[in-house]
Amino acid sequence: MNSSSFGSFTAIAAVAAVVWCTPVVVAGQGRTADGPPDIQGFWASQGRRLATYDIEEAADPTHVFLSGVQTDEASLVVDPPDGKIPYQPWARARRTDVREHHTNLTKWEYVDPHTRCFLSGIPRVFYQGTFQILQPAGYVVILQEFNHGSRIIPVDGRPHVGENVKLWMGDSRGHWEGNTLVVDVTNNNDKTWFDIVGDFHSDALRIRERYTFVDVDTIDYQATFEDPKVYTRPFTITLNFRRNVRGEQAKSFELLEEACHEGDQDTPQMLHQLTGAPK
Amino acid sequence: MRRRFICAFAVAVVASLAPGPISAQVRAGDPAAYKPPRAADGQPDLQGVWQVLNTASWDIQDHSARLGTPAGQGVVEGNDVPYQGWAAAKKKENFENRLTADPVAKCYLPGVPRITYMPYPFQIFQTNGLLSIIYEYDHAVRTIYMDRPHLPGHIDFWLGVSRGHWDGDTLVVDAVDFNDQTWFDASGNFHSDALHVVERYTRTGPDHIAYEVTIEDPKVFTRPWKMDMTLYRRQEKNVQLLDYECNALEEEAAGRLK
Repeated sequence: MNSSSFGSFTAIAAVAAVVWCTPVVVAGQGRTADGPPDIQGFWASQGRRLATYDIEEAADPTHVFLSGVQTDEASLVVDPPDGKIPYQPWARARRTDVREHHTNLTKWEYVDPHTRCFLSGIPRVFYQGTFQILQPAGYVVILQEFNHGSRIIPVDGRPHVGENVKLWMGDSRGHWEGNTLVVDVTNNNDKTWFDIVGDFHSDALRIRERYTFVDVDTIDYQATFEDPKVYTRPFTITLNFRRNVRGEQAKSFELLEEACHEGDQDTPQMLHQLTGAPK
Repeated sequence: MRRRFICAFAVAVVASLAPGPISAQVRAGDPAAYKPPRAADGQPDLQGVWQVLNTASWDIQDHSARLGTPAGQGVVEGNDVPYQGWAAAKKKENFENRLTADPVAKCYLPGVPRITYMPYPFQIFQTNGLLSIIYEYDHAVRTIYMDRPHLPGHIDFWLGVSRGHWDGDTLVVDAVDFNDQTWFDASGNFHSDALHVVERYTRTGPDHIAYEVTIEDPKVFTRPWKMDMTLYRRQEKNVQLLDYECNALEEEAAGRLK
């Protein structure tokens, strides 16, 4: 065997070995090398896209009319049963004030953080279109097309970062309970909203998320919010995620760059409106 | 179990037959002697939290210290950036206006390869058919698909579109579809939307990656040119990416974010 045919033999052997040795994992049906379900791929929240307007009402008639997007118009909040966030009185007053002024901006406190291209925070990240889940060893990683957001969720049992570190997307630690990914989110800053009308939290917010993989294409999402500075009791929301790119399509689909701040035309306009700065 | 054992053995045999990386491309360690550990797909494992230890983000060429800028030895091969005549004048103008004209001073995404050598950590993730790099600076993300061609036509992106393949144990990333808005450093080195970047990531030891970049842009340069530097694995226990949200910090400093 000369060196070139030995090279070909090596290449063929290598290809054969790779094919035979690569674990066959069917999306959502198999297990990754680590053991948990394979949840990789592209997902989106279904049916409640307009939750981004007001999570207590899911949508208002104007937004439904303008967008034409179907919604169940139900509150995302399933507990308490009245669908309202259990704000302390001062906090309900602040939220009502923002809701009344969110289309008539007279101070920065009324401006939606999204309008200024700040990161979404949780759970708002989940009703902003397509997101991609990766499962490299030891992690679950969530990439969002909207404002190129991301979440890195270690699932290796490491402790949270120090309490004085505040993060726009919080500090996530996950573990698996059967088909459910349980994520504890701490270290949130106090600058993100849950929706356009100013539903808010403080930096004492702690979120416990449960992602239950019901079948190949479906995730039931539940998150409980605890923030003793702002709410009188914890509350829970639910969302449903579906795979929105499947099979062959997934081989050519990718998230593209949405550079929000770089194209921001709103903040200069608002600067003019709020401070008299030249447009 | 038996299959796993045989596969581990087969990978070892195949790896021992594979040609090693070219030594001239590598700075740290003895590349011929170093066999990187493998990711789940059998390719070299580049995962972890990495960061440069150089001053390229301020100036990719040799430079003395300036106020707020540490002195540094350049990362450009031969130290010369081969500008066309008009472009050399433009670079000089950029340098004079750098404090306000640098796109990073406006909190814009730094482009490629500058995002790699910003003085902030980044984390590489590898999974089936792709690598994803998340950068602490401005929560930038690049996903490098290994299984598909470039997108048709030109599209302007701040970080371009990246496609990868393995050349032996080296990850080669081909990136196009850039806009003409980013600089290579805070000293005004620039490019056009014809920019084509080829990056080579080669592990040279447990904690080092040799990072070599070829820059091509026929609208601005007279020939392709190269940078090279080392990426260091962050050693701190439990190191993780935090936030540097540039535009939010700017708004906060201006009193517009309480």
